Amino acid sequence: MLKMKQGIYARLPQHYLRSLQEARPPTPVHWKSLGVKYKLNPETNVRERVQDVPIPIYYPPESQKGLWGGEGWVSGFRYANNDKLSTRLKKCWKPQLCVRELYSEILDHKFSISVTARTLDLIDAAYGFDFYILKTPKEDLNSKLGMDLKRAMLLRLARQNTELYPDDSARRDIIYNKYKTFEIPEEEAEWVGLSLEEALEKQRLLERKEPMPRFKTCVENLVHEMAVQKLSEPQVVEK
Amino acid sequence: MWCWSRFVLEGLAREFSKVKVSPVQYFSQTTCKNTVVVERWWQVPLSKEGAPPRLHPRRHRVYKLVEDTKHHPKEKIELILTQAVPKFGGRGDTVTVKKSVGRNKLLTEGLAVYASPENKQMFLEEKKNLQEGKLEGRLQTHTGEMTVKFLKCCHLEVGMRSHLQYELTKESVCRHFLHRLGLFVPPHALTLPDEPITRWGEYWCEVTVNGLDTVRVPMSVVNFEKPRTRRRKRLLQKQEPKPQEEEKEAQRDGSDEPAKTE
Repeated sequence: MLKMKQGIYARLPQHYLRSLQEARPPTPVHWKSLGVKYKLNPETNVRERVQDVPIPIYYPPESQKGLWGGEGWVSGFRYANNDKLSTRLKKCWKPQLCVRELYSEILDHKFSISVTARTLDLIDAAYGFDFYILKTPKEDLNSKLGMDLKRAMLLRLARQNTELYPDDSARRDIIYNKYKTFEIPEEEAEWVGLSLEEALEKQRLLERKEPMPRFKTCVENLVHEMAVQKLSEPQVVEK
Repeated sequence: MWCWSRFVLEGLAREFSKVKVSPVQYFSQTTCKNTVVVERWWQVPLSKEGAPPRLHPRRHRVYKLVEDTKHHPKEKIELILTQAVPKFGGRGDTVTVKKSVGRNKLLTEGLAVYASPENKQMFLEEKKNLQEGKLEGRLQTHTGEMTVKFLKCCHLEVGMRSHLQYELTKESVCRHFLHRLGLFVPPHALTLPDEPITRWGEYWCEVTVNGLDTVRVPMSVVNFEKPRTRRRKRLLQKQEPKPQEEEKEAQRDGSDEPAKTE
């Protein structure tokens, strides 16, 4: 995009721009990928090229406020009676949601988040909520809330001396050693998971300077000029 | 005729498609539950390499439900207990429980942690330290507590023959523990009174469970009876109670004088 190469967009930090460009396809959730490039045709016994065709999935705005684990609405059609020659009917498969209290060790806080059963299973597979949030890449997390949590956790880890369990040093050491593999520098952690608008606002605030009143600059100039004039005058030394 | 053959063909096609789908299972899909998996009714024509496939606006949006993982058999999760939980086990035990129980009870109340490689390693080391015999901070295990509870309401009967000179040894008491109470007591966990036991009578012995809790168990040394005689006596006892009760009643009714027949 041309827009990204000029103005304030170009001045955004490099690691943030890179994270925007690296968009990998998410893991298939609602369809099964073939996993192979070539397959043997059972009728002709000839090797044929095959391809995965992802099914488009609609992620409603609510999915950004919860952790759906990559699930979304599959909207399309089905055939009545599972018969190809029968009527075509509109069909939308939606995930089943439930609100669960999830405890984060790093943030030391309980969150009430709407999740799907798949999310809970993924959390179990990752051995904990914090590990799930930190391990899962952006495209699989697929949620603004998840990325905000990730940023908060990474910031806590980066500022471990001041913010991570400030009262309890023993607990801080345990938690820090557990999650230290995910630690990144604070400057990068601040930008993780920001949307483009948020990043722009952040950059704007960073670059912003308080406007100087006109008279102040004029006065400064005048003082400077007078000083120069004074210095350039020949000094009369009395004997 | 044509119609019939069409149905047969379709049924076959459906079955084949099922067969095609089922053996291919990936890790990311085996872990998830309660997720709808769909596939297209119409095959998408193969596109050139690197080019996006060209989808028919109507046909390629018709999906067939392959499976809903909601209806799969429920899996269980593996957890390691951090403290003794009744009916589950003691600290350091790996338990496999229903997901709901694990998530809502054990994990939220802090009774268990996930069986991740690090946690497993940690608890293994702890177990090793315990076995090496570092007594500080050691706690009785769940089964140990149950054993102590059982021992507290036990009474041991040791049968010895009268015509032999004997001195009761630890080994024989251990054997009696195993035979009579079904409890294996190693000789080093057993303590007998200092004076040698050579006659019938009431004595005691002490059993130490896991080297932590010591329980004093009453022990009576009695005349040895062959199993057959014991069984006979028990049978007789079962038959007798009625006349005994009648006798007792008769005693209460009749006279105050104690009738000692036995």
